[in-house]
Formats: sequence, structure tokens, C-alpha cells
Amino acid sequence: MKSTQYSEKVLDHFRNPRNMGEIEKADGFGRVGNPVCGDLMFMYIKVGRNNRDEEIIEDIKFKTFGCGSAVATSSMITEMAKGLTLEEAYKITRQDVADELEGLPPIKMHCSNLAADALKAAIDNYRLGTEPEVEVETACKLEINVILGFEDYLGKGTYKEIPENLEEFRDKRVLIVDSGDESLELALKLTNYTGRVIVSTTSKVIPGREEIAKKLKQSDVKILQQSELVEIKGELDEVEKVVLHDFDEDENYELFLDAVVYLDYRG
Amino acid sequence: MGVYLDYQAAKPVDSRVISEMTIYLNQKFANPSSLHCEGDEATDALSEFRHKIAEFINAPDPESIIFTSGATESNNLALIGYAMRNKKKGNHIIISEIEHISILNIAKYLEREGFEVSRVPVDQYGIIRIDKLERLITQNTILISISTASNEVGSIQPLKEISDLAVKNNVVFHTDAVASESSVPIDVQEIPVDMLTLSSNDIYGPRGVGALYLKKGLRVNPIIIGGGQERGFRSGSENIPGIVGFGKAAEIMKNQINEEASRLRKLRDKLIKGVLEVIPKSYLNGHPEKRLPHNAHFRFDYIEGESLILSLKDENIAAATGSACSSKTLEASHTLIAMGLLHEEAHGSLVITLGRNTTEQDIDELLDKLPGIVKRLRLLSPLTPPDLIKKYNEVND
Repeated sequence: MKSTQYSEKVLDHFRNPRNMGEIEKADGFGRVGNPVCGDLMFMYIKVGRNNRDEEIIEDIKFKTFGCGSAVATSSMITEMAKGLTLEEAYKITRQDVADELEGLPPIKMHCSNLAADALKAAIDNYRLGTEPEVEVETACKLEINVILGFEDYLGKGTYKEIPENLEEFRDKRVLIVDSGDESLELALKLTNYTGRVIVSTTSKVIPGREEIAKKLKQSDVKILQQSELVEIKGELDEVEKVVLHDFDEDENYELFLDAVVYLDYRG
Repeated sequence: MGVYLDYQAAKPVDSRVISEMTIYLNQKFANPSSLHCEGDEATDALSEFRHKIAEFINAPDPESIIFTSGATESNNLALIGYAMRNKKKGNHIIISEIEHISILNIAKYLEREGFEVSRVPVDQYGIIRIDKLERLITQNTILISISTASNEVGSIQPLKEISDLAVKNNVVFHTDAVASESSVPIDVQEIPVDMLTLSSNDIYGPRGVGALYLKKGLRVNPIIIGGGQERGFRSGSENIPGIVGFGKAAEIMKNQINEEASRLRKLRDKLIKGVLEVIPKSYLNGHPEKRLPHNAHFRFDYIEGESLILSLKDENIAAATGSACSSKTLEASHTLIAMGLLHEEAHGSLVITLGRNTTEQDIDELLDKLPGIVKRLRLLSPLTPPDLIKKYNEVND
């Protein structure tokens, strides 16, 4: 079976997703998946009471980044859960969602069938009564860590200061570690020299003072929020790739590039 | 049939090719190994159409064309056949980070057999770093295999420079020309290569046939053993109807390749311009100029490729993606990752490949439907930033 061989019901939910959107001031919010793997789901619930005074899901909405089955399972579960008591809704399994959709391709059963988990996360969030996370406006970095390989590749792809001639970066893939506005201004400037400028920042939002953040948003600079440079790897005495840590997902990943700029790096 | 824009995956067989083949299916059906007149007729056909393939790539000697069952077999014969035969000369092979999956997996097999494989990195446009290739060559290097162009992002590789390096260092150079054979002319004398892989379907011939060009004097170990056909390099009774079709397709292609390439280039450029202008946060993957005339490869922030393909399917438009969610292995395209894209960026890619039947109306149709589809998926995606959603909603009002 092809990974895209979907039932008519899956296709229907993909084409006309039910309950798509966000609930402002939701009682519960669940987030599962990871865009790196190709799926990310947000689930919002509003809790009410039925005539037996049990807590029920009065309203439910979702947003999903992902393949056809990721969208369809999110949409399906909102239809299944609406009106159920929290207890009943909590019991909905991945298999229940797949069955309701008249089946999913086997390869999609695990990777993109996350809706049941997202709903559970939203109910947990409601029951535990945790406050929604507060967005922090500034970089939350407290200490400077040693970046493996940074010193080894100085002059061979890593930079502690801005070189006199930015032509050195012409057509290169450049990663700039956010160390304040000077580094962010450099990122903006470099877009005139190359199509690939990436900023790694520990901040949860687009970094920099308002004016710079606005410019960054409009530019083609790729911002990696909540990330930290861990290691620089090279081959033949030149930078070839880096290892970055994603705080949000608590995992490391690799990225191919040619140059790394970390102004005032002190390892 | 709707709008078909997936020519890199499969091409229709030219009707002139079909009529040429038919006669060899039911009338001139004999085996060229037979000694009777009918057998002689088959031998003549084999020779005539081998000649056409040689002409297609300007090979001086038709005998240097070895027919196979397709490009994958040709790649196996070139890499495994050459490596196994030349084990004593050295055990080092160089490929690139962005080769076709068949080359990547053959290289893995050879590693298990004790060979060392280096993978040349590419720049942000998917073009190999020639300086790094030069530095990777050692005394032990026996073979370099780099495709003429990326089958995914369409970046055309610096073949002449690779060939010069191979000659200078006395290393054999193999290139898989399948991605480019329908839109970039091949001349194995102008740019010397030692082995070259061709596929029939990629020039509008039938499937199940391909060829390996094996420069005169060069030898490889066969990987299919039997009756010694194809000078012993590839046994098995020759697939005459397939070879006839392949040869005819090559003849047609040779006569029109330049004209067709410039037609496709115009359509491609219209498409690229149209997409990048209209859709915010859309990007072209691969090199803006050094790219196959028939390839346009995009990515769109905040959305996933399979969803994109499904939505295009609903509009009767056939296209492809490099997203993991549509692959057998659930891994994002190795080419896009090697170019320096993040996984989430690689997931949002759209691969458009044009061909002989592509019209300007097809491009217009795609340009008409695509912005709405991208918008719909972005409104659905939790990754889309609020300002973009606001912008989309404002246009509505």
C-alpha cells in the first residue's frame, strides 16, 4: 500500500477539516509532534458541564502541520470528542481514530496518527491547571558553553569577528550565533551576499530590538529559535556541518553549511 | 488526464517509437543468437539501433554501448563491475552527497565489501565542491561516480572539471546521465567520461531498457552471468523490441533536444518567476541558472509536501515532493539536507518536472491553483506566523 493511498473518509477530512483554528483562552492546550519529523499538532479545548454536572468537551479546535493523515486524524478526533465527558475523551486511542477514518496506510499508523496524544495532552493540561507558558522576549542564555570544534576551525570557516571584506561570505551558507544586535545586523547585511543566512538563538521569539526583529521577520534570514550551537564538524580542514541543540524538543540535529560566525566567542 | 508535471518520474512513450517497436514484437521476433535468416534480421536490428545510441552520445564505437534492463542495472554494472575487477589497484571510490538512491545504495554495498567510499559535499545550490573533490582523491582512488545533474533539484554538475580531474589523476569517471538526457546534449568525446548510464524511458522510450557506455578498452566484471551476450558484459537474450524503441527514441531526441530545451527553459522560467512573485516565503531550491531546463524545485515555509501533493491531486495536477511523509523510508530528501536545508524546510518541497507534452496552459493552470493551496495549508498550520495569517485574511476582506 502506498503511503498516500487514503480512504475517501481521510481525504474528506483532509479537504474539509472540521473545527480548524484556535480557541482564545482555551481551558486546555496540547502540543505534540515535531516539525523536524514532518508533523506538528496543536489541540485546544474548552471545558463545560453536562446536565449530570460532569465535565465535558464543550468546544475543541486544532491546527496541524503535516501530511494528509496528520490533518485528517486531527479533524476526525475533534468530531469524535466534541460533547464527550473528559473521561470518555481521554480514552480515545490512536486505533479508534484510525478505525473511524476507515483505516490508515500502515506506514502512517505511528508517524502521523498523533491526534489522540494531542487531545490527551490538552486534557492533562486542563486537569493539572498549568498556566500557559509565558513567552520570554529576550535570549535566555545564562552561560557560554564550549562549542566543540570552534577553535579548531578558526580561519577555516569559523569567525569570532566580522571580517573586513564580507565578500568572503559570497554564496556561502552562513550560520550566525545570536550574540546581540551587532550579530543580527550582520545577518541582515549578509543577505546581500548570499541566499542562505541562518541565525541560531536561544530566544523563543524573533530576537533583537523591535526594529531589527521586524527587519529580520521580513527578510529571508532563517531564524532557529530555542536553539544552541553544540559542535562544529568538518572534513578536509574546513567546516562542513554543525550540530545544533533544539531546547524545545530536547534533541540534537545536524545542518550542512560553510561558515559559522560567533562574535566575541569565549570558549 | 489532468496536468502532468512529474516527467522525472516517468515519461510517455513516443508514438513513433511504439510503431517502430511493434514490428519487432510480432513479426521480426527472432533471437539474434540464432543462425537462420530471421536471426540475422534481429542481429541487424541490434546493430542498427546500437548505432543510434552511440550517435546520441557521440561515442566513436557502437560496441561501447552495453544494453541493460535500465539505469539501475547500468549503475550496478559500472560501480560494482568496475570496483570488483580493479580491487588490486585500490579500494577507494568517490561519489557525491546528492547521488540518485541507486548509486547511494550501491556505494553502501561496496563499503560492506571492504571498499572505502567518500562523498563529495555540495554547496547551497546542490553543485558539488570541485575543490573538495580534488582533495579527496588519493593514491587508492579507482573510481569517481557523479551524476551529470541532480535528479531532484536539477543542478547541473561541472562535468568538464570533474573529467579533467579524473584524467589528471588517472581515475576512472562514471556519470549517471539519466536526469539530464532529455534536455542537455551528451558528447562523450567533448567531455571525456569512461562510463555513462542512460535510461530509455527518460528520452520517451519504453521502460525496462537502458545502457551503459563503456569506453573502448575499459573492462568491468559482469554482474549478470549467462550466455555471454553484450560481449560478455551482460548476459541474457537481447530485448530487441526494447532496444529498437530505445534507439528510435534516441534518434528523435538527438534531432530536437536543443529546440526542446529552449522551449522548456522558457516555461520553467515563467513558472519560477510566477511562483516566487506571488507566494510569500517561497523559495527556489537548486541553482537559478545552472539547472536542468525541465526542472523547477520549490519550497514553501510552514507547510508539508505531501499535503501539497494531495491538494494538487484534487485539482488534477500531478507533481512530486521531497517530503519524508511521502517516501517509503519516512526520511527527508538527502539532497535537500546535503544542500543545508533544515528537515522542516525539506518537508515543504514541491518538485515540478516538465516534458514534451507540457504546454503554457499547464503552467498557467498550476500558477492559478498553487497560491490558493499554499494559503489553505498555511491557515491550517500551527507554524504560520500570525502576521502572515493576518495578511492572508486581509486579502480576503
